[in-house]
Amino acid sequence: MLLKYIVLCLTTICIVSVSGQSYEDKRCKCVCPSPAAVFNSSATTDHRRHYIANVPPNKCNCEGVILPRDGAEIKGREQEFCPRCECKYENRNTTIIKVVVIIVIWVIMLLVVYMGFLICLDPLINKRAKASYQEHTNEDDESTLSGPSQQMGLRGNVLNRVTHQQDKWKKQVREQRRNIYDRHTMLN
Amino acid sequence: MNSPVEEDIVDITPGLQQAADTTPTSHGTFQLYEHPGRTSSASANWDAVIFSGMQGDDDIPGIGQYDDFHTIDWQRDIARDRMRHRYIVKKRQDSLWDLIKGAHDAWSGWVCVLLVGVCTGVVAGVIDIGASWMTDLKFGICPQAFWFNREQCCWSSNETTFDHGNCSQWLTWPQVFGESRDGAGAYVISYLFYIAWALVFAALSASLVRMFAPYACGSGIPEIKTILSGFIIRGYLGKWTLIIKVVGLILSVSSGLSLGKEGPMVHIASCLGNILSYLFPKYGRNEAKKREILSAAAAAGVSVAFGAPIGGVLFSLEEVSYYFPLKTLWRSFFCALIAAFILRSINPFGNEHSVLFFVEYNKPWIFFELIPFVALGIIGGCIATIFIKANIFWCRYRKHSKLGQYPVTEVLIVTLVTALISYPNPYTRMNTSQLIYLLFNQCGISNSDPLCDYDRNFTDVNSAIEKAAARPGVYGAIGLLCLALVLKLAMTVFTFGIKVPCGLFIPSLALGAIAGRIVGIGVEQLAYHYPKIWIFSGECSTGDDCITPGLYAMVGAAAVLGGVTRMTVSLVVIMFELTGGVRYIVPLMAAAMASKWVGDALGRQGIYDAHIALNGYPFLDSKDEFQHTSLAADVMQPKRNETLAVITQDSMTVDDVETLLKETEHNGYPVVVSKESQYLVGFVLRRDLNLAIANARRTLAGLTGQSPVVFGGTAPPAGAASLPLSRILDMAPITVTDQTPMETVVDMFRKLGLRQTLVTHNGWCKD
Repeated sequence: MLLKYIVLCLTTICIVSVSGQSYEDKRCKCVCPSPAAVFNSSATTDHRRHYIANVPPNKCNCEGVILPRDGAEIKGREQEFCPRCECKYENRNTTIIKVVVIIVIWVIMLLVVYMGFLICLDPLINKRAKASYQEHTNEDDESTLSGPSQQMGLRGNVLNRVTHQQDKWKKQVREQRRNIYDRHTMLN
Repeated sequence: MNSPVEEDIVDITPGLQQAADTTPTSHGTFQLYEHPGRTSSASANWDAVIFSGMQGDDDIPGIGQYDDFHTIDWQRDIARDRMRHRYIVKKRQDSLWDLIKGAHDAWSGWVCVLLVGVCTGVVAGVIDIGASWMTDLKFGICPQAFWFNREQCCWSSNETTFDHGNCSQWLTWPQVFGESRDGAGAYVISYLFYIAWALVFAALSASLVRMFAPYACGSGIPEIKTILSGFIIRGYLGKWTLIIKVVGLILSVSSGLSLGKEGPMVHIASCLGNILSYLFPKYGRNEAKKREILSAAAAAGVSVAFGAPIGGVLFSLEEVSYYFPLKTLWRSFFCALIAAFILRSINPFGNEHSVLFFVEYNKPWIFFELIPFVALGIIGGCIATIFIKANIFWCRYRKHSKLGQYPVTEVLIVTLVTALISYPNPYTRMNTSQLIYLLFNQCGISNSDPLCDYDRNFTDVNSAIEKAAARPGVYGAIGLLCLALVLKLAMTVFTFGIKVPCGLFIPSLALGAIAGRIVGIGVEQLAYHYPKIWIFSGECSTGDDCITPGLYAMVGAAAVLGGVTRMTVSLVVIMFELTGGVRYIVPLMAAAMASKWVGDALGRQGIYDAHIALNGYPFLDSKDEFQHTSLAADVMQPKRNETLAVITQDSMTVDDVETLLKETEHNGYPVVVSKESQYLVGFVLRRDLNLAIANARRTLAGLTGQSPVVFGGTAPPAGAASLPLSRILDMAPITVTDQTPMETVVDMFRKLGLRQTLVTHNGWCKD
């Protein structure tokens, strides 16, 4: 019960923190030199100004973004200042980014957990199962795969089939490892 | 053939030869293969009969497939497909259902490449987003939305900011631990975190590859080339390889190693092509047809890697493909288009393009500049040769020494050293794609790097950006870039070939871009200080910015990449698709050509061919010329006076055949009329023979070791106890005579994609 509450709280916190953000998918970004550098060339300060605004694409220019904000500073000299600015309209999709990154994290975690399982637990389990396990001999062909596995599906349960597939896969990986790491016949 | 009788027939008259030609070698099916375009109803009937026989092959599982590490028989597979196709065409008139099936068969190639394109685009988007996020994880985190990288985190700070007043949402690791952003302590913490994350990512990548799919390591292009030339590597294009390659690629790119994702992208696309082709039996069960899909998939891989669809198609044509009919060209085009479209809709970098380092140029170049461009080509060729030689030396050392026994340790050491020496230099610290973008770019207002520290005069409005004297920042940047060039070259030599997914397009582009930018700044300053000398022909005297260092970086990048891979056409197309400017084709072509010449003069092979040779893959390069002047009789196996293992048409028993299979290790056996008169009937593959016998033992009742094996297609003798094998017999094997010059034989192997050829002498089988 307590666990349930914690999980619920965590999810609500997540949702609130996510939805509370104002992550827009569109922006107009302008970069300008500082007005001081433009108007009196002696003062070459290096501070550029970045302006980010949420305006429609056709307003993404000096008139639409910079003048409303810093218009007072450059009053009357727009003709000089504006050509120095670079404006770019950009868009993105935050949902895709979020989903992709979370999927990537999940896949990596799953693989790491499975790797840990194969390294630590699997030898122990296999030792016990070895006695009862019968080696299938006619499985090195991919096309014969459908035959035996169907027959097995009739006889055994799903778990058996999974184990069978897993063993087959493990054998392949062992073969690959031998080619690459031991014999060095490939991919050097 | 070794009988003395055969020696007697050597000097025979044409008349006798013709007599020898009318031996059972020429058979009905022979003509069938020869005229694929026949559509008369009589032949259609005949085809249907043959094909129903072929369909019977399904009884014997595995016919038409190949063993691991074997080459495929293009001729046989293409003939099989033609049969199947003709059968479907004929059946189409029978019923509506057959018509639908025929239509499905006709468009399945297009559907398959459509699916491949869509999947490739999606996977490339995942890799791009994942890698850019994980790369920035080395520097800091966006606590409010951890899935954003630095750029995305500071996306919409709705305020006016300055250069170094970074956005508040993004926290660097020192800030996370309560330190200030700058200062010695912060630097040390950042450095440590950078190294730690790099090690974690590299260790994960290397161990995942080792644990789940060892075939996922490396770039994959040499192997794809070999596979497309007709070699079977089981599991190289499988599901696990795909998953691990994608995940491992994200991890290894993020670890800051000197590697790129473009080469592996081709491998990933080919994996997708292989997996999806199993949805369509036409391709999944025919290795030769499957390679058409794989060619298209390789094009899609380059298309998403560089955002260059046409470049991808040409890359597939020029670099990787072996058998590339026009139909495949169109499918590749379509596939590359779809993949680029999908990736562009995902918009992984938020710049409306599918690569990070897309630049847009519209500056003219002057004629004199061709000289530095060609010089860049020469420099690029030299850098590429150094790289190839050193890398091959190191890979050979790894292959034959104890170093190869510690793959994961090697990855960790390389990562540690790379991270240690990369961090202090800002140009090696940043992501290599970003570095390339920086170097390609023009120095505008938005570029705050020291590389653009010019003495600009802002007061004159009339010219946009005029040429200007370099200030100390530029010289400092050049020093750092020189250092970065040397370090990156060395690191890439050691990196390419370690056991994580790694490509070398990006590192070689970066090397060339660094060299090009340095040369470009040199020429630019020359033009600034001496604008009046004749070489600039007055074009630089007006005060306009006549030399663009970014363009030099681009040309240099093309030169090094061209020198490393020895691509020319596809490279130029890729580069101009990257820059969106057609006017730079001539400079790029000049540099690519110069670099290829220099590279060819200094070392014969490109990196992929060198790796193919190093690994000893059976790849018959169509670019090589064959110099020996031997005859087919000199090189054939067995030699002139050894006995040839043959199977007779109808006088051998099952036991005889099995003994033969046990005692010899040939891939196939010629079938002859009888031991005495070894007239060729056909050719049977060892694998097919094994499968057929095993299958017959399972299914055919009353089969004993004494049962005769009958290859004659005409009359199965009465009595159930014989094993008819006419259906696995290839009655139209490619034959040459023993006096054929070796050039012709090699040409036949190359152009027809042969697996073996039989050497005959007056119709008598020799090999």
